[in-house]
Amino acid sequence: MFSRTKNINLSPIKTIELLASKIPDVVSLAQGIPSFDTPEVVKKAAFKALNRGAVAKYSLTYGLPELRETIEQKLAEEEMFYDFEKEIIVTAGSIEAITASLIAIIESKKNEVILFSPSYTSYAEVVKVSGGKPIFSNLIEDDGWRIDFNDLKKKVNSKTAAILFCNPNNPTGTIFSREDLLKIVELAGKKNFFILSDEVYKDFIYNTHKSVFFSLAQIPELRKRVIRIFSLSKAYAMTGWRIGFLHSDEENVKEILKIHDSLVTCAPVISQYAAIGALDYGEDDLNKFRHEFSGRLNLMCNHLNNLKNFFVYQKPIGSYFVFPKILPTAYKTLGAKQGDSWNFALKLLEKAKVAVVPGVAFGPSGENHFRISFGRSEKDINEAMERIKKYMQ
Amino acid sequence: MNNIFKIIIQFFLKWLAKIYLWRVQPYVIIVAGTTNRHWIKEAVIEELKNKGLSVRGNRKNFNAEIGLPLSILDLPSGEGSFSGWLGILYKALKIILSPYKSAHIVLEMAIDRPEDMDYLLSIVRPNAVILTTITMIYRENFEDLGEIALEYRELVKALPKDGLLLLNFDDQRIKDLAKFASCRALTYGLNEGADYWAENIKKITMGQQFEINGAFIKINRFGKHHIYAKIAAHAIRSEKF
Repeated sequence: MFSRTKNINLSPIKTIELLASKIPDVVSLAQGIPSFDTPEVVKKAAFKALNRGAVAKYSLTYGLPELRETIEQKLAEEEMFYDFEKEIIVTAGSIEAITASLIAIIESKKNEVILFSPSYTSYAEVVKVSGGKPIFSNLIEDDGWRIDFNDLKKKVNSKTAAILFCNPNNPTGTIFSREDLLKIVELAGKKNFFILSDEVYKDFIYNTHKSVFFSLAQIPELRKRVIRIFSLSKAYAMTGWRIGFLHSDEENVKEILKIHDSLVTCAPVISQYAAIGALDYGEDDLNKFRHEFSGRLNLMCNHLNNLKNFFVYQKPIGSYFVFPKILPTAYKTLGAKQGDSWNFALKLLEKAKVAVVPGVAFGPSGENHFRISFGRSEKDINEAMERIKKYMQ
Repeated sequence: MNNIFKIIIQFFLKWLAKIYLWRVQPYVIIVAGTTNRHWIKEAVIEELKNKGLSVRGNRKNFNAEIGLPLSILDLPSGEGSFSGWLGILYKALKIILSPYKSAHIVLEMAIDRPEDMDYLLSIVRPNAVILTTITMIYRENFEDLGEIALEYRELVKALPKDGLLLLNFDDQRIKDLAKFASCRALTYGLNEGADYWAENIKKITMGQQFEINGAFIKINRFGKHHIYAKIAAHAIRSEKF
């Protein structure tokens, strides 16, 4: 019984949240949820569709044509050219897009999926759910969490079905350079594997020009190699609406569509109408969120600077996470087991009543770190960091 | 924006747009139909710009009762803010008093329910019209596709005698609207028989290539809708400019 699921774990983020929910007065900086409510323009679009009776029925499996047309227009603004009729699928968030893609891609003799360590906790589980085997390749912390190509070259082989990464990366907040992404393309060409690029945080890039961010989906020659995934959850504060999309060449999309159809039939229709509102009229809100997060990033860094005897960190360029390294003094002060970020996170929860995600949840090289979100309100950030300070000093 | 405020804003925007059009007298090309308006509008703007003409189109998808006058006046939305809209009305006043601007405006027009077209035509009258398709999209407020066609019939009838009507040859309901035009009506499509048609279509790594009435064309976009857009734009340019 349950032989397929026995090796699949509930996301550590959810586990921490579950534990936190049982302790009164916990401040959580664990989950990657923006503190904002969904913008009014988005809600208005959803209400309008609801009131005119447009949301009760399934949409086409691909998604509402008018939403896909809007997505095509938005992609074209970013130099990505895809046909809304055959090359875009609206999905129930990014995780469904990734799952459907992986199920379509993974074969019995080509079942390994390369993940960077550290990277988003759910990737490894999604690979397993899709019948694949996650293979971690390390990022180099001392080199700004860059890809270790010596390690990566050793990990790819004829069994590699795909590489899946988040750019900007969750939890490190770093961006993979154009040069490094093109090196991945070279490897993918040699070993014939797909590249899944999850760009859910691409709208949150700070203190640098937006042009430093580059997507492989901008290169027409790579259309058959690259599957790009985006979700509206973070950009438009819509985590609960479960809405996102993927795009690639029609050759890939027609196969992924079969899985998407089997999994969810179509993305929630009310959320699809809300997404039209977000993409058409949500830009001002998105800019406001970015500005707000940029301020919160500085606030978080100021707090961490005051704790430099306990944590060292690299200031993120994107996303809304910081991934500090836990120094031995921090383990000792908190009475946590040295080198065990799970134990550190549990002690922090128990003593300081602050929920963070242990670094090991993001892959083996995430050990001795923890992820902390500055997507929460300033009040929460200040309260959480003051509590940590109190226990550390 | 509450309803009364919306009605007031709509009223002022309509009249400011009408005054602007009366004063500037631009050549107005309207793109209507249930799909592909955006890309046809973009393709027409590109073609006319390539000819060195002064041209602009709708901002974002501003194409209905509030958005259309904003597009005519080339203004952004005031969003949900009272002061934002007052600022927009002030800017609109300045625009209608300022010197002559674009000589050509390409406008997408969207209808949501019966009689929408009458209202939009009370703001702007076309010199040329491109009609795309009549499909099931946005059908919620219409009895059937025939009722949607009635709206486009009004648009066709609004064309002056020296106007130009460009109809999608591959959509029968659209093609049938030719009989209501008092001006020249031409067709575009993917089938021989259309006045402007594309053939030898091939998907290539960088986009698509095809021929329009024998002329070789290459675009960096994917999907049939971009071919339709290119044919319509090519036809407008060839016939009028």
